[in-house]
Amino acid sequence: MAKSKQSVNRRGFLKGAATAAVGAAAAGGAAPSAGTPQATQDGSAGGNAPPPPPTAEQIARDAGAVRPPAVMPGARAAVRPGSDLMVQVLKDLGIEWVAANPGSSFEGIQESIINYGNPANVKPEFITALHEESSVTMAHGYGKATGKPMCALLHGTIGIQHAAMSIYQAYYDRAPSLLIAGRDLGFIAAHSANDMAGMVRSYTKWDATPKTLPEALAALQRAYNEAITPPCGPTMVVIDIDLQKEEAGNLRVPAYQPPHFSGLDPGEARAIAKSLLEAQNPRIAVGRLRTPEGVRLAVGLAELVGASTSTAATQGPMSFPQRHPLCGPGATTSYDYTLGLEQPGGNVSLIGPSLASLLSRDSANIGFGGIAPGVARGGGGGGGRGGRGGRGTAPAGRTVDVDAEASLPALIEEVRRQMTPDSQRVIRERTAAHGVANQRARTVALRQALEERRAGWDSSPISTARIYAELWPLIADEDWILASPSNFSGGHHTQLWDHNKPYSYLGSQGAAGMGYGAPAAVGAGLAAKSRGQIVVNVQCDGDLNYAPGVLWTAQHHQLPVLNVMHNNRAWHQELMFVEYMCGVRGRGTDRGHIGTTLRDPFIDYRMLAAAYGMAGEGPITDPAKLGAALKRGVASVKRGQPYLIDVITQPR
Amino acid sequence: MMIPRPSIAVAAGVLLAAALSQTSPRAQTTVTTLTSPVTGNAANGKTLYCDHACYSCHGFNGETGARPFVPNWPPNLATERSFTAFLRGRANLSPVQPSTAMPNYAAAALNDAQARDVYAYIRSFKSPPPLPIDKIPVMKQILAAAEKPYKR
Repeated sequence: MAKSKQSVNRRGFLKGAATAAVGAAAAGGAAPSAGTPQATQDGSAGGNAPPPPPTAEQIARDAGAVRPPAVMPGARAAVRPGSDLMVQVLKDLGIEWVAANPGSSFEGIQESIINYGNPANVKPEFITALHEESSVTMAHGYGKATGKPMCALLHGTIGIQHAAMSIYQAYYDRAPSLLIAGRDLGFIAAHSANDMAGMVRSYTKWDATPKTLPEALAALQRAYNEAITPPCGPTMVVIDIDLQKEEAGNLRVPAYQPPHFSGLDPGEARAIAKSLLEAQNPRIAVGRLRTPEGVRLAVGLAELVGASTSTAATQGPMSFPQRHPLCGPGATTSYDYTLGLEQPGGNVSLIGPSLASLLSRDSANIGFGGIAPGVARGGGGGGGRGGRGGRGTAPAGRTVDVDAEASLPALIEEVRRQMTPDSQRVIRERTAAHGVANQRARTVALRQALEERRAGWDSSPISTARIYAELWPLIADEDWILASPSNFSGGHHTQLWDHNKPYSYLGSQGAAGMGYGAPAAVGAGLAAKSRGQIVVNVQCDGDLNYAPGVLWTAQHHQLPVLNVMHNNRAWHQELMFVEYMCGVRGRGTDRGHIGTTLRDPFIDYRMLAAAYGMAGEGPITDPAKLGAALKRGVASVKRGQPYLIDVITQPR
Repeated sequence: MMIPRPSIAVAAGVLLAAALSQTSPRAQTTVTTLTSPVTGNAANGKTLYCDHACYSCHGFNGETGARPFVPNWPPNLATERSFTAFLRGRANLSPVQPSTAMPNYAAAALNDAQARDVYAYIRSFKSPPPLPIDKIPVMKQILAAAEKPYKR
C-alpha cells in the first residue's frame, strides 16, 4: 500500500520532533509540539530546515496571556455550554469527585468540571485516573465507604469496555456509582455505538441515552436516584458530545426530587414495636444498611429496647458497631423475638429489594453468577454462588420487603410511643447485663485469637497475622477505614480489631475480581480526605499488578492511604489449586509455580511506588522491623501523604 | 461411554484420603514433640519443600498458612512411614471444583527417599515456645485497648 505523503511513521515522528526541539533550543524559543505541521508534514524526515521561530501568538500563549479568538461569522460559540449545566447537576447532588482518564467524547464535561463554578474544580473535583477500571473501582470503594455515589467518566465504547469488570463488580456488591459515558458519533467510529450502554446493561441498574439537553439533565438526576435506591448499584448515562457543547441559553437545571424509599407501613411498625417491647430478650440482627444514617438509627433502636445485636461489620460496611455494649451474644442467648435489619431474623426480617427486581431490565440477561433469572431470593448468601453477599439463608420467620433504613424512624417512633415506665426499667437492667456479658465474651475471644496468632509470630517471611496485629495499636485511636478485602490475607482484623464505624471495613471485592484493592483504597481515600480519616490497604501483590497506576493517583491527589504489601510473590490461591491438580494427575507439584508465581525477577514494590512518586520502604523480611515501618507509614498518612510498605509475607 | 470402575486399591486409597482430609490437623490428637527416627537428608528436603511449594499451605516454617503443623504435629507426621503413607494416600480423583486440599504425591512424582528427605526437613522446624501474650508488647497493647470503654 502506498504511503500517503501526509502519513507519519514512528521514526519520522521521533526524528522530526528531535530536529524541531534542537532547532528551537538553538533559536532560544519554545519547541513546537511534535504534532505541529513543521515537525511532521514531511513524513520521512520531518524537514531538514530549522523550524520557524515562534509566532507572537505562541509566545503570548506560553506567557499565559491568552485572548479568545474573535468569533467568525457562522462559527459556533457557546456562552453557556450544556456541560456547565450537567456539572451543576452533579454539584447539586453533592457529588464530590469525578474520576477519569481523559477522553475526547467527554471533553465538554471535563472542561466544565475544571473551569465552571466558583470555585471551579471543587465538588466535584476531577480525579486523574490511569485506567477506566481504576476509575470505576474508586467509585466502588467510595460508595461503600460513604453510601453515596461518586462519578466516573468513560470514553466511548472503549472506555466502557475497559471499565466493564469494575462495573460488574460494583453491581454485584450493591455499591452506588454514577457513570457517564461520552459519545461522539462524528469522530472515531470505533469509539461509538448506537447503544453503548447495552454492553454493560446486564450489570448496571439503570441507563439512559438522552437525546436533548433537558433530557440529559433529568437523566443524571434519575441515574443518581436509581444508584442510591435499594438495591443500590452503578447506573450509566450516555451523553453525546453535541449535548455537552450546545448552547444552553436560558435552560434551567430541573428541580431535584429525591427518591422514595419504601418503608414499613404504620400497622407493621406498631406490631414490631410491640413485639420488641414485650419480649424478655429481644435480638436485632443487623446486616448491611444503606448509609451511615441507617447505622445510627439501628443503634438508636437497639438502645431504646435494650436488644442484644449481631453485626456484619466484620464482613463489610454499614452495620452495627462491633464494640457497642449491646453487640454480642448478650447475657443470655435464648432470644424470644428477633428482628432482622437487612439480615435474616428469626421472627421478622426487613430486607430491601434484591436483584430479582432488576432482572426485568430490557437486556439479554447474560446471567452472570448468581444474578441469573430464576435464582431464588436470598439463596446461597454470604457472597457465595447464587446470592448477594450478606443475605444469608432464608429466615424461618416473616420477611417484609421494605428498606430497613427507611423503616427505622417509624419503628423508633412507635417504640417510644408504646414505652412504659415498667418497660424502661426492664430495658435498663437488661442493657447493663448485656454490656457486662458482651465485654466478657469479647475479652475471652480476643485472648483466644491472640493465642492462635502466637505461632509464627517471629517467622520470616512475616506472618500475615503479625501485620494486622502490629497495625491495630497504631490506628485504634484514629478514624480509619480498612479498604482492602482480607480473604487472602487471613482476615485477622475480624478478631483483633474493633469495627465500630459504618465504614470500618469495606468488605470483599464484590464478585471476587482481582485488581480491586488499590483502586478501592483510593476511592476510600477520597472519602477519607475530606473527613479527616485514614485508609489502610493490606494489598495483595497479584491484585496490585492489574492496574498499579492507581498509586500515582493516590500520590497526585495526596490521599491518606497506607498500602501494606501482602507480598507472597504469587497468585497464591491459584498456586494451591494447580498444586492439587498436579497431585490428582500424579505428576508432582514441582512445576505448579509455572504461571502462578511472581518470581524471576521478584517485583520491587517500593521501587514501583517510587516510580509513581509515592514514599515507601521495604522489602521487609525481619518481623522485628515491621512495627517501626508501620509507624512511619501511619505517620505519613496522618499528614495526608500516601505510603507503601513492601512486606515479604508467609503465603497466608 | 463406559466409565471404568476403580480398583479396590484405588477405592481404599480414596477412602483413606477422604478420612484424612476430613479431619483437620487441629482437630486430630496432636503431639508437640516427635522422637521417631529420621533418616532422610534435610538439606535435600529443604529444596524439595520449596520446589514442590509445600510452603503454600504450611508456611515456610510449618507454623502459618492454611494447614500449619508446628508445634501441634498431627499423627500422620509421627514417623517417616506414616508421612509417606499420607503422601500416597491422598485423593486422586479430579474434584468438580478447584481444591486447596493436600495434593496426592505418587511415588513417580516424589519417591520414598525424597519423601524421607522432606520429612527430615520438616522435622528440623524448630518450635520455640512463643512468648506468652502478656510478654509480646503488641499483644499486650491489643488486650489493654479492649479494656477501654466503647467510644461512639
